[in-house]
This record gives sequence, C-alpha cells and structure tokens, in this order.
Amino acid sequence: MDPWLASALSLFMGLLPCGIVVARASLMERVVAYEMAGVVTSLGLLLVGEALQQPSFSDLAIALALLSFPASLVLVRFAERGL
Amino acid sequence: MSAREIIAVALLVPGVVVLLLSCLGVLTGRNAYARLHYIGPSTLLGSTLIAAAILVRESLRPGGIKAGLTALILVLTGPVISHATARAIHTLESRRREDR
Repeated sequence: MDPWLASALSLFMGLLPCGIVVARASLMERVVAYEMAGVVTSLGLLLVGEALQQPSFSDLAIALALLSFPASLVLVRFAERGL
Repeated sequence: MSAREIIAVALLVPGVVVLLLSCLGVLTGRNAYARLHYIGPSTLLGSTLIAAAILVRESLRPGGIKAGLTALILVLTGPVISHATARAIHTLESRRREDR
C-alpha cells in the first residue's frame, strides 16, 4: 500500500478517539476534542491529496485550517459565557 | 524508492505517530486541561513533520507550498486556540466554584 494513503487512513482513524470524547465528555472537553479533530482532518486531507495527486484536497485542507480557527474561537467564547 | 521518497516517509511516519498519540491523549486525559495539552504537539510538531514530508516530496510545486501554508496556519493558530480554550475552562471552573 502507498505510504501516503496508509498515513492518511491512519490519521482519519485518529478521529475515532476525538468522536468518543465529543460524545461522552463535558462541554470544554468536547471543545478540545473538536479542535483536535479539526487539526487531524486538515492534515489528513493534505495526505489524501498527496496520495491521490489531487491538488483540490490541499485547497480543502487550507480552507479547513483557516476556518477552524475562528470557529474554535467563537465556540470557546460561547462556552465561556455558558451555552 | 528514491532517497527523496525515503526521507519523505521518514518525516511522515513520526508526524502521523505524534498526531495519533495526541488523539489518544485527548481520549485518556483526566480533565479538560490535561486533554488540552495534546493540541500542542499535534499543531506544532505533527503538522510541521507532515508538511516537511510533503515539501521534500513535492519541493516548491503547488502541493508543497500548500502543505507549508497549512502547517504555518496550524502553527500560528494552535497556541492562540489553546490559550483561549484554557481561559474558557478556567472561567467556567471558577464560576462553578462560586456557585457552590
């Protein structure tokens, strides 16, 4: 198997622990898991783009990395004020 | 496999391992602060290693530049998000202690 594709698939397996925390933990722990999932997904998309030689996945990765920053800040701000 | 591919994979594997261990850390952390710590290695070390692997493979082609840009965004925003989240955790915990 192509090491890039194998790396991408293993990275996406890392979303499973994040999903478990989002499903079961307290509010702020869910926020932390969501932030981690954003990082993992962004890098996973980079690797998928590299494995399949499709540059569009890299564009998705940049967009996700850019958008997850204000999304996380807004979520944290709402959580701080008490959702 | 050329030397370039070998170097790229040699950078890729530790990057993926760091990210997977960080995800496990988020799962097993005792509280929100402990889980928050694992954002650091993933954004700083994991993203840098993976971007370096792609840069070694692609050099300065668009794919490599995009990977570098993604890693740069994650490196710059990761600490800001961690700090904001830690502040929110502290505020919520202080509020809970006052309510008791």
